[in-house]
Amino acid sequence: MMRRPILLVVLLAAVLLSACTNTPGRSDQVVVTGSTTILPIAEVSAEMFHRLRPDVRVLVSGVGSSAGIESVSTGSSDIGTSSRDLKSEEGGLGLVDTPIAYDAIAVIVNQSNPVESLTKAQIKAIFQGKIRDWSQVGGRGGSIQLVNRDEASGTREAFSKIVMDKEPFDPTAAVLPGTGQVRAVVAQSPGAVGYISYGFVNRSVKAIAVEGVRPSEKTVFSGAYPIQRTLHFFTKGPAAGLARSYIDFVLSDSVQKTIVGEAGFLPVSERSR
Amino acid sequence: MDKRVANTIALAVLWVAAGITVFVLFAIIGYVFVNGIGVISPRFIFTWPHGVAAVGGIWPTIVSSVYVTTLAMLIVTPIAILAAVYLAEYAVQGRLVSTIRFAADSLASVPSIVMGLFGLALFVEAAGFGFSMLSAALALSFLMLPIVMRTTEEAIRAVPRFIRWGSYGLGATKWQTVSKIVLPAATPRIVTGIVLAAGRAVGETAVVIYTMGQAINLPRTPLDSGRPMTVHLYLLAMEGINLRAAYGTALLLMVMILFFNLGARWISRRYRKV
Amino acid sequence: MAEHTGAPEPADELRLVTRATYLRELTLKNLFLLCAFVAVLGVLLIFVFVGVRGWPAFTEIGVREFLFGRVWSPSTEQFGILPLIWGTILVMAGALALGTPLAVATAVFLSEIATPRVRSIVRPAVELLAGIPSVIYGFFGLVMLRPIIAEWSGGLGFGAFTAWIILAIMIVPTIATLSQDALESVPDGIREASYAMGATTWQTIYKVLLPAAKIGIFDAVILGMGRAIGETMAVLMVVGNAPVFPKDVFSPLSTLTTQIVMDMPYAVGLHRTALFGMAIILFVVSMSLVAVVRLLSRLGEER
Repeated sequence: MMRRPILLVVLLAAVLLSACTNTPGRSDQVVVTGSTTILPIAEVSAEMFHRLRPDVRVLVSGVGSSAGIESVSTGSSDIGTSSRDLKSEEGGLGLVDTPIAYDAIAVIVNQSNPVESLTKAQIKAIFQGKIRDWSQVGGRGGSIQLVNRDEASGTREAFSKIVMDKEPFDPTAAVLPGTGQVRAVVAQSPGAVGYISYGFVNRSVKAIAVEGVRPSEKTVFSGAYPIQRTLHFFTKGPAAGLARSYIDFVLSDSVQKTIVGEAGFLPVSERSR
Repeated sequence: MDKRVANTIALAVLWVAAGITVFVLFAIIGYVFVNGIGVISPRFIFTWPHGVAAVGGIWPTIVSSVYVTTLAMLIVTPIAILAAVYLAEYAVQGRLVSTIRFAADSLASVPSIVMGLFGLALFVEAAGFGFSMLSAALALSFLMLPIVMRTTEEAIRAVPRFIRWGSYGLGATKWQTVSKIVLPAATPRIVTGIVLAAGRAVGETAVVIYTMGQAINLPRTPLDSGRPMTVHLYLLAMEGINLRAAYGTALLLMVMILFFNLGARWISRRYRKV
Repeated sequence: MAEHTGAPEPADELRLVTRATYLRELTLKNLFLLCAFVAVLGVLLIFVFVGVRGWPAFTEIGVREFLFGRVWSPSTEQFGILPLIWGTILVMAGALALGTPLAVATAVFLSEIATPRVRSIVRPAVELLAGIPSVIYGFFGLVMLRPIIAEWSGGLGFGAFTAWIILAIMIVPTIATLSQDALESVPDGIREASYAMGATTWQTIYKVLLPAAKIGIFDAVILGMGRAIGETMAVLMVVGNAPVFPKDVFSPLSTLTTQIVMDMPYAVGLHRTALFGMAIILFVVSMSLVAVVRLLSRLGEER
């Protein structure tokens, strides 16, 4: 019975291999962590990818763009997603960028708020806490209720860079860790103002015009709408192996022409810059 | 004020207080039930969440919750029972026992976020288990240890003394008495305590976030990560996009915990005569 | 009954068990002691692992700057946790103020007034309340309570007031069950003596029973305090998470526990150390409360 021991060894090896920890570089999974904004795209495409490649598991978690960048640079994940660009101090990490979509950030107010348009300077002053009453910007009187995102949020980071010029937010603002919550709170409180990804704007809130330009697919495409950003997939070095396959899939039409649009973002291929 | 009038008013206030407490319980359970019942379906329970708004089901989270709780129970039960045996049968009042009790009480009152960071530092990073069922179960074990220790000790102490004397009188050793007579007699109460502790473990959030990670996954080995129902509910609620699924998750979570609590109660009632 | 014919050696007479059995029993006893010691081991491990990570917060940031600094702004290297300490105290104090009377009243009701039938409904209800996970309380506060308070106060509904209500409900079971135990352990003779003198139920409760159960109730309140200080998820979902001194009870604020959860996902370096430092503070405070309770119990016994 010479075959029996070999079978046993093979079985044992299989059992041992299957008990390996969740480390990236494992040959049957891709670990993707990062932006909560990109999370929906990553998760749905992971699911679709799994149907194409049932042997591969793509594990997606949304922990924030900064955490995503950190974990891909330390090797804890294969792909770090980020809704903000790399900071200057992150330049030396050896990360390679693959843009997968574009996004606009809408400034939202309550439906009952008569304000229709604000300048970038006004928005900045509001979020700095310098303008505290709606009557100062052409609205009905009433105190401005600021709703901010948490510091791990790529949306906040992008807003901070584009609108706030990196100056501090009003620290007394409520800090909410989720797009839906910001939207729900603004939808319900007449004096509230917040910012969310344009893709998540729905009828419950009003997206105001910035510098006279309302956010819409047309104005985002044309570049007229001022508050917009790139959504990134970062890899340590050029993407290879399973991570490469997954990224290629995300860049393909089956994701770009469907999910990206459904999530309210702009596909990479249609942008002419 | 006439003392009888004062008495009537005071008693009315006390009735109202108790009524408020009961009302709040039913309000919370009722609110979750009413909003969540429409979401529950076999599809919700047994399919995976997918899509931009996590629609679908919550099956992997249910498995993760049950998996980690079971693992934690397996780890903590032998240690806690033997520890309680020591305290109830062998220990002499003194500095050592005092220290042990102080430590157990301290563990029981550790803020769950501290336990979570502890689990992160020790099990996830230092011991290298990574984000896994194992790390989370070990952290949960420390949380549940004092609970099971206390209830088991009370269960052992509740066994009447004459049973032990009979055993010793027959020439049995201490361990024989404990293992063959006392523990079996105390088993219903011990099981009640374990079930209650399991209910507590299922409801933990802060501890498991930092030891199990957040990725949705169906755990197979203890080194796999996953997302339990509590974390799923937290993320759904905070994201705010799919409140329907949040209510459904909350309801299932509550049902699971009520099952543990009422189960424990049923066990203790059924075996009360013992 | 046969009698011993020979005179056995004294050593044989004294030995009741074989040496093997004796050793086995001793080994088992020590094994059990080891298991009991796991609790102590746990506490020590927490001290070591959280302590090592967090201790530099006190040395590098400086005790005064860390504990008494009024600005928490990690992005500008400012790590003053005074607003968070204030937030923790504010939230805890309000919750205790709201929850203790309700809990003690419920306990008194259960112990003195409820018929066994009513008790069999109310006490399980209280215990079930204790079992509801904090994330569900937080969820309830977020989707049900916050909008109501927002309408009522004109603000966003995040703030100390909302936290007080949710946290008060959460600590009621802790305080109520322990207070009920304390009240029930007051000997019946004292009650009967009071009634015999013509006191009404309320007079008995107020003048005799509550003072008699004082220590037990105080213990219960302290444990409730510990729970309020250490509660994380429920408070996180309703408090607004602004690391500042709130201008009123309807403005967003932050506590030690909630700030740790908010910042942990992205904190690195000194920031992360500061968070572990906050964890040390929380751990020390909760252990101190346990010590206080144990001390009080011992004092109570000696009386």
